[in-house]
Amino acid sequence: MAIISREQIVEGLVKILGEEQVITDEQVLKESSLDRYRKYEQVCEVYTQPIPAAVVYVKDTQEVADVLAFANENEINVVPRTGHSAIEGGLETALKDSVVIDGSTMNKVIKVDEYNMQVTCQCGVPLQELDDMLRERGYTTGHSPQSKPLAQIGGLVATRSIGQFSTLYGGIEDMIVGMEAVFPNGKICRIKNVPRRAAGPDIRHIICGNEGAICFITEVTLKLFKWQPENNRYIGYKLDDEHMKLGFDCLREVMVEGYRPSFARLYDAADAQQHFSAWLEEGKAILIWMAEGPANITPAMEEGIKKLMSKHPELEEVDPALIEKWYSGLNWGPEEIAQEKEEIRATQNIGITTEVSGSWDNIYEIYKTACDRILEEVPDMTLMGGHSSHSYINGTNMYFVYYYNIVDCAPEEEINKYHDRINQIICEQVIKYGGSIVHHHGLGKARAKYVTQEYGSSYYMLKTLKQAFDPNGIMNMGTLIPLRK
Amino acid sequence: MKILGCFKVVPDLDLIVEEDWNKKNQSYVDTGYAKLVWNCFDEGALEMMLRLSDLSEGLNVVYKLSALTIGRQKTEGFLKTLYALGFSEGVRICVETEEDILFSPEMVSEGIANYVKKVEEQDVIITGIQSSDGSNKKTPYLLAEKLEWPCITQVVGMEPMDEDHLQVTAQVPGGYMVRQVKTPCVLAVGNAPCAYLRIPTLKDKMKLGKRPVTQLMPEELGMVEAGESVQLIGLNPIDRKRNTVIIEGDSPEEKARHLYEKYLKGRLSML
Repeated sequence: MAIISREQIVEGLVKILGEEQVITDEQVLKESSLDRYRKYEQVCEVYTQPIPAAVVYVKDTQEVADVLAFANENEINVVPRTGHSAIEGGLETALKDSVVIDGSTMNKVIKVDEYNMQVTCQCGVPLQELDDMLRERGYTTGHSPQSKPLAQIGGLVATRSIGQFSTLYGGIEDMIVGMEAVFPNGKICRIKNVPRRAAGPDIRHIICGNEGAICFITEVTLKLFKWQPENNRYIGYKLDDEHMKLGFDCLREVMVEGYRPSFARLYDAADAQQHFSAWLEEGKAILIWMAEGPANITPAMEEGIKKLMSKHPELEEVDPALIEKWYSGLNWGPEEIAQEKEEIRATQNIGITTEVSGSWDNIYEIYKTACDRILEEVPDMTLMGGHSSHSYINGTNMYFVYYYNIVDCAPEEEINKYHDRINQIICEQVIKYGGSIVHHHGLGKARAKYVTQEYGSSYYMLKTLKQAFDPNGIMNMGTLIPLRK
Repeated sequence: MKILGCFKVVPDLDLIVEEDWNKKNQSYVDTGYAKLVWNCFDEGALEMMLRLSDLSEGLNVVYKLSALTIGRQKTEGFLKTLYALGFSEGVRICVETEEDILFSPEMVSEGIANYVKKVEEQDVIITGIQSSDGSNKKTPYLLAEKLEWPCITQVVGMEPMDEDHLQVTAQVPGGYMVRQVKTPCVLAVGNAPCAYLRIPTLKDKMKLGKRPVTQLMPEELGMVEAGESVQLIGLNPIDRKRNTVIIEGDSPEEKARHLYEKYLKGRLSML
């Protein structure tokens, strides 16, 4: 915790950045003490986390370095932030008198390099704006998470984000080229842009996924891809919910046969009704693929996937136009969040997601046993389901989707009574069957308590990284590595 | 007191892609892929019924809540949700496609009126003031006329009184009017403060939501004849496009100055 007073922290920050960039408005501070992990507290405007001393808006890398050096010297906990779309507690200010460093004003696209197929931008560039601009030129980053209308580049890299087209383009870790980041002592490090190198460990992965607990990301170079939506092909099948195991096997078959569709999804019946209720019968799960790429590849991929699926009499093909139109309405933006808040207030019913991953031989057990246990052990559930949306040669993810009524429960208690309990069950089942408790939201603070079980003996490496780069413990404490009680 | 909530299941119009709104020379918009939701005014009306029932606890009035919809098989899931919330009767007037009733409030009101006259008598009928897709805004009026019952519109609240009366609050220009209303009556719900229907738990769905829905055919309720008097012959969108200028500038101050100098200064000087 800081060795100087709250007032001295603000004074010091004003000296570095000037008054305009240092925000101490009470409401802003309260709203900056949490993220969407504590969605119900957010909706009820009840703030249980320590309120930060200030939110500072940084304009360039040197300002980030100066603020971090000041924080390091005075042992002030800092929470790096860009789009504020985190949902696993990564942006909670867990310690008294923290400072939130907001990079959203560092929002310049520095260079679009069409010849080398890469784009360099500052951390606060909104992904939606970047990709829209690139698409006008016929390119895309290939990164399209559901949070695209909210998220910014720094946060996406910090949390090892993944997008809806990951099966073709990969996660953000496959898209990054070089980066610039600032470490807690103020040291600015740049990793150059090269297609590949074998000069020791890939140090980009100290930065990618650090969740603000090791450094502040100021600049990122991402790969570019041709955007050719006119060639997209959509493939969909419905199947009985009791055949979910077969659904996972179908996802596997497509991957194992060597196809790389841009998205590959399996929704169980409960989750499917949230998206396809207009035409999908209750009790039906759904399998979806989209083939993306050059005009001579996508029809071949469509044909190949259909041929594979034709061997399964349990599957019934659906009109691809229905899939295409569903796909156009997938993303979440500020309007949806505002409406969701209104609905939660009115109904006291809340929806949450938790994402995990597993190998082909355990993902079904993870899915089935976690759903069964939650329905058995948690009260007031109104929906329990999920989907797989990112597949790999050796496994896939599971995105649990659950809703519950908040009954006889103060806002401060909701997280213990429901959300953490459900998270715990999911994490326990994942660990039991050998998957990963986090697929793409980051550990945040919500799941940091399971980090030693997640890492096993390799926790030594994570802990050593943290201690080496952040010896004073000022970087987003409680994230990745839990706070000592 | 027997209360019938009449509701419509509609496509979520926010999910309709732009090109489907702009297709020319067709008398419908393809909404077949958009997920189904409660019509917003009806949703408020159904929640209002449940709140009335909540308020009656400890009083000597018993409310028997029923619900009726006209639609495809898919709409039965919505009726089963109402079962799980405590409704005692769910009725679907079966049609293969909602397009036939989209712009036919005469047919819809005829079906509901005949259900009340011929199948199950009711004391109160509650419905939303209009649907989000057809937007005819006529069904509650026509229904009241066919039943020869009074109709109160823009209802925003109901409270229990006795077996033959309800206290009904309606929004009127400039305020709210609270009235004691003798049944039978038709109540049309407008911008209700309780716009969202509560969500039943999965356990309640398992326990209460399995009962079969009563299915009736439009012919049984004289709906087909009623629909013959009005036929849709065209749909034309209103062009609401406006010219847009994006103000360029290196800083917010510069953009604000440009906005003021070029677009606002002249107008302000005329005030």
